[in-house]
Amino acid sequence: MKVSRRDLLIGSAGVTAGIIFTPVPWKLLGDVSIWTQNFSWIPQLPRGPVEVKQSACTLCANGCGVRVRMAAGCPVGVAGVSGHPVSKGTLCPLTFAAHQLNWHPRRLREVRHRGRPASWSDAQAAFAKACGEGQVAIFDAQPERAASSVFAAFIQKHNGCYRPVLGPESQALAPYASWSGVPVNALGYDLENTRTIVSFGAPLLDGWGTPGRFTRLWSDRAAGASDPQLRLIQMESSFSRTAALAWRRVAVREGSDAALAAGVARVLLEEGLVAAQAPMPVLPLAEAAAQTGLSVEEIRSLVRTMVEKRPVLAIAAEESPSVAALNVLLGAVGTPGGIVAKKNHVPARVPAEAPKTSPRAVLIDASVPWEFDPQTDAEIFRFAAWDGGGGKADWLLPAPGFLEYLTDVPAPPTSGVDTYAIAVNLAASPPEIKSAAQFLQKIDSSMPEVDQLIRAHCEEIFHSHQGAVYGEQPLPVSTIESAQKIEEQLRKGAVWVGNPSRPGNLRCVLKDWPAERTLPRPTNWAAAWPVPVLPPIATKLYQESNLREAPAGRQA
Amino acid sequence: MSARYGMVIDLDRCTGCGACMVACAAENNVPPAPPSATPRTGLTPMLVHKVSNGLEGSAQREVFIPVTCMQCERETPCVGVCPQQAVEVDKATGIVMQIPQRCLGCRYCMTACPYHARYFNWWDPKWPEGMEKTLNPGVSTRMRGVVEKCNLCHARLHGAMEKAAAAGKKEIDPTDYVPACVEACPTGAIVFGNLADRNDPASRAADSPDAFRLLARLGTEPKIHYKSRQAWVRALAERGTSRSSEAKHV
Amino acid sequence: MRRTILVFAFGFVVALIAGWVAFPRALYSRHAQPLNFFHKTHGEKSGLASCDSCHTFGNNGEFSGIPRSEVCVGCHADKLGSSKAEAILVDTYIKAGQEPPWLVYSQQPANVWFSHAVHTRRAGLNCVDCHGSYGESDQTRLYEKNRISGYSRDIWGHSISRLRRAPHDGMKMNDCESCHRRRHVEVGCLGCHQ
Repeated sequence: MKVSRRDLLIGSAGVTAGIIFTPVPWKLLGDVSIWTQNFSWIPQLPRGPVEVKQSACTLCANGCGVRVRMAAGCPVGVAGVSGHPVSKGTLCPLTFAAHQLNWHPRRLREVRHRGRPASWSDAQAAFAKACGEGQVAIFDAQPERAASSVFAAFIQKHNGCYRPVLGPESQALAPYASWSGVPVNALGYDLENTRTIVSFGAPLLDGWGTPGRFTRLWSDRAAGASDPQLRLIQMESSFSRTAALAWRRVAVREGSDAALAAGVARVLLEEGLVAAQAPMPVLPLAEAAAQTGLSVEEIRSLVRTMVEKRPVLAIAAEESPSVAALNVLLGAVGTPGGIVAKKNHVPARVPAEAPKTSPRAVLIDASVPWEFDPQTDAEIFRFAAWDGGGGKADWLLPAPGFLEYLTDVPAPPTSGVDTYAIAVNLAASPPEIKSAAQFLQKIDSSMPEVDQLIRAHCEEIFHSHQGAVYGEQPLPVSTIESAQKIEEQLRKGAVWVGNPSRPGNLRCVLKDWPAERTLPRPTNWAAAWPVPVLPPIATKLYQESNLREAPAGRQA
Repeated sequence: MSARYGMVIDLDRCTGCGACMVACAAENNVPPAPPSATPRTGLTPMLVHKVSNGLEGSAQREVFIPVTCMQCERETPCVGVCPQQAVEVDKATGIVMQIPQRCLGCRYCMTACPYHARYFNWWDPKWPEGMEKTLNPGVSTRMRGVVEKCNLCHARLHGAMEKAAAAGKKEIDPTDYVPACVEACPTGAIVFGNLADRNDPASRAADSPDAFRLLARLGTEPKIHYKSRQAWVRALAERGTSRSSEAKHV
Repeated sequence: MRRTILVFAFGFVVALIAGWVAFPRALYSRHAQPLNFFHKTHGEKSGLASCDSCHTFGNNGEFSGIPRSEVCVGCHADKLGSSKAEAILVDTYIKAGQEPPWLVYSQQPANVWFSHAVHTRRAGLNCVDCHGSYGESDQTRLYEKNRISGYSRDIWGHSISRLRRAPHDGMKMNDCESCHRRRHVEVGCLGCHQ
């Protein structure tokens, strides 16, 4: 039978009619629409067992407690730990997206030597050679860690020097250190017991110290009240967030902190408002007024307001000997509500010395902010988890990122009590990543290991019988059976808190009113975020809204 | 036994840090914005506005106002206009539920919402390579061309419901259902709870004389309340919100 | 005219056969599980008689789904018998610290939230109500995957027309909705979606 074209057409019509009575068109319609929902570029959600673990954030020296939700072994959400003695259940705005940082496009994943890929063994060889040829300086922005002890052990054995890099809050404590002999790392601020805080431009409500500490205190005792229990007087030239929310805001000319402190001191001494002894500032009151832009009467009235509710504590934004002298005058040194020594005065574990000669090589730990410039011609070995761009490191060494390595967390720089916590790694470090401490151990295997040092510190705490371990509930150390139990608790996210400092164990003696140096001041909120990059969703804060200014020199 | 979940935000305590905004974006798998995004095209289910009192010098003060979906109860504007019925008010919880997968992107709801609390996905979500491993498994991602908004962290409500069911309970434990913004706030400015329960802290805070709601005159009965002891802040209640790039005062 | 009708009918029948017989076969690709797991063996020989011996709930009510190899290791840290399946389990997966890449028959899309805790503990459903008597099977079911949508055949159901099918055959939204309607359990969209 010959099949004609007409047959084909009729046949096709039959097929078409038949197809309608089959599942084909209907199923295809549905399935194709589902297919369009599953294109390969559509992000897939993680599937896997979900668990919640506790650790401490190590991005800056404050070590806030973090509760991390993990799915399929990867962190998928970060929150604070409520009741945490150091961070009070809060985190800085960017930590909530910190778990995404480990996949930031600028994450460093390979060793680079002057822009070209290199290997760890090349870097080790170069560093070992440099140690043999001259002095090595190691810069560390989170001193007092176990890793810091590794650095100390290394420079002692190999003739080097250890240089801590201090943030502005610690720099503000430097004058007290030099006047009392107590090292800076042992000092802190006892904010909880003060009634009036006079802030010389310190961004107390926006990136100062541990994020949760002062904001919670202020929220509980001051927010919105016309006569608050905690008075915050903000004195600065710009209109920062802290100034916008403070109880009183005093607008002064930029750079006039020293003059203002001197003027306040004069009025305190002249009107006999303080009992403490201190030298009279050299600057006359009228001159101080002129420099600050306030009138003499305004300064007098400000001082009277300041001392209405005592104790009073002055906080500087950075190293300011005049403000420190003012605190001595106000009796806010070594007393409750003032500058305190959070640890018993022990010689600093790692003596910081200025190098005797120009170093041959410089090792910069990953904790040091990217903007830090060692100002040297030496060969620079820079550890970092993220590449901030620019910079003049000869060697860029990929360091562990967020919660990727075991480390310990000493007391935050501004804390008024001694604390200790352990930050366990919740995700394994990628294979090509090493911390500075591990690097030094590879070069000299006699260097102590971080977990041995952590164990030793737990032993110290155990034998001191001081303080309490805050886990599910506070447990005094004297009731804990062994150092191992302490370490176990700390590895689960607990924090050891030492006893409050004894008044009188910190004394500053001043002969003359100090001369002032002006230093650049960090006022930008992002300056408190030490990581050179921002989590990508940080754009919500400055690009997709008008809430904040774009941070200088950092990109999401 | 139905609940009415809402919040009371204490504007005296908000420091404008933005932690709530970041925590919200992380919890809800909100994608990072491309370089061309602006405050008008941004995707911020929680958005904090900065408002000044207009005075100068030492008298100048600012207030920070976090704005999310107000969970309107009465004649919910976005529900009425949606051609796809992609949004409805849940009878059991009072939450205004937006299903982005049903949305066809007409943006009528964005026009209808008096609080400008709805956001459009102008771009396909794209995370840097590998970052999808950090997405919250409890919230599905959206595609470009759909509207989304705050769902009061429904993933966390799911978690609380599952936990209660596993323990054999009918009602969830209130401490298990805490939205991301509430958890993140460093000053505890946001109080979240069941406004239908007279003993709930949120319910009691909403009854305070210092409490107010934004644009209450429109009669949508929002369940997000605000409170402030400062009279000038309470006076802002009847002003509208704006998301333009130049907004400084509202 | 007769020829026309015949040719038309011929085309019609061809379409029907293609649509009802060939199409379902072609639409689904067949995949084997990584190893042959027999539920009946485990039920009879090891006394693991109930589903929740291995398919457990976590502390917060999250369901384990197909159990992870930690559950298997409880007995199978080393080979107990001589079956090929066990050899694969122990050598390829347990010893290597890998999870067997099981193909999940009831995998739902990302925007679906289904809580086993709510359905079994609160609603009192039994496993067999939705999953059938798979727990008594003495073979491993082939995993059939829809080539276009990517989902398992179990979601649409084995019957391509969705007529005369078993109560547990099919896990589309319609199936969830019909059971909810029958039992008068009203939930809003976000009660099942995420």
